[in-house]
Amino acid sequence: MSLRCTVGFMATAIVLISAPVAAQQPFDESKYAAFEGQWMRVGPIARYDQTKPPGGGQEAPLTPEYNAIFEANLADVAKGGFGDDPVYACILEGMPRAMNLILPMEIIAKRNTTYFLMEYLGMLRRIHTDGRSFPTDEPPSWMGYSTGKWIDEDGDGRYDVLEIETRNLKNPRTFDASGIPLHRDGQTIVKERLYLDKADPDILYNQITTYDHALTQPWTVLKTMHRERNPIFVEAVCAEENLQVNIGNEHYMLNSSRELMPARKDQPPPDLKHFNRPKN
Amino acid sequence: MASGSSAVLTGLALLSMTSGVIAHHSFAMFDTAHPIEISGVVKEFRYANPHSVWVVEVKRSDGTSKDWVLEGPAPGIMARQGVTANTFRPGDAFRGTISPLHSGEPGGSYFPPQIDLSNPIRK
Repeated sequence: MSLRCTVGFMATAIVLISAPVAAQQPFDESKYAAFEGQWMRVGPIARYDQTKPPGGGQEAPLTPEYNAIFEANLADVAKGGFGDDPVYACILEGMPRAMNLILPMEIIAKRNTTYFLMEYLGMLRRIHTDGRSFPTDEPPSWMGYSTGKWIDEDGDGRYDVLEIETRNLKNPRTFDASGIPLHRDGQTIVKERLYLDKADPDILYNQITTYDHALTQPWTVLKTMHRERNPIFVEAVCAEENLQVNIGNEHYMLNSSRELMPARKDQPPPDLKHFNRPKN
Repeated sequence: MASGSSAVLTGLALLSMTSGVIAHHSFAMFDTAHPIEISGVVKEFRYANPHSVWVVEVKRSDGTSKDWVLEGPAPGIMARQGVTANTFRPGDAFRGTISPLHSGEPGGSYFPPQIDLSNPIRK
């Protein structure tokens, strides 16, 4: 064997041996931005753009078709309906709405995955940071499939930005409780960029850009969160207790005996045609 | 109440448990433009999601009483205001400004920005 061949063989062997060793090295969290902990939105509840009023005040760049859908939804709510907000039936908010943070979110960063644990509705986001591609045969989900990349933007040897892309989302979803719609085709792509405030490590920003066919252009918002230094953890199971009942197109409320009460004046009772009539 | 009415009510209650979609988050059924103040005695407090529930017995001027059902903030919000599952107990006095049902039935929403921890008044 020539010297050149020997050196080449040894180099190949070193690569083959060192790769799995590197993968087994302990996770060094000091190389990652200090995102771990519990975070809560800064600002009013249930708004996609935290800087603008709810509903039409959000100025979502909707196409005429989807603006008409949104307006019809608002008209329904004005009449006492639930509109198009799917969360009224305890369906997960999904992306990007989950990042509105009705309740706090905990971030846990691991070597190949970063987890976002949302208290509200028990939503979980799993951000794959191991360099994988999007799967081609994964069923869609409300939280979607997320890949991410840690970036050392200032070159100091520590990651300071987490970029995330989320696809493969399931419907129905809206941007917020006012019913701002996303397209029925489910082709939404959400891109996020998370980073800490340079002066205050207890402030986390998330610049979110949503690409969706219901929009005339990508919609970008900047969300601000603050770190909860004394976090508490509360379970939030939506199906646990509920007083509001939707039957057909009517909405009722349960009284103290769990019987239906009308919610509005002259509201008709539910259609009981499939039940035996009481005998007088 | 006539037996027929009872049967219908029972049927409606059963219907609500079986074929209805349990729902939350819409406040359209409540008259937020015309809040009212109620005071009474807590009969039940359910510290639960998606909204906590108070059942408050309210005495009327004629001496009779009516149970009001109030829907309020989720535990995740109230816990961060210092409220626990034991903050309100049966027998506690209750007072609050609520948004009543449009129908006039004894139900409403109770969503103060901050739960008044001096309320309830324990006897």
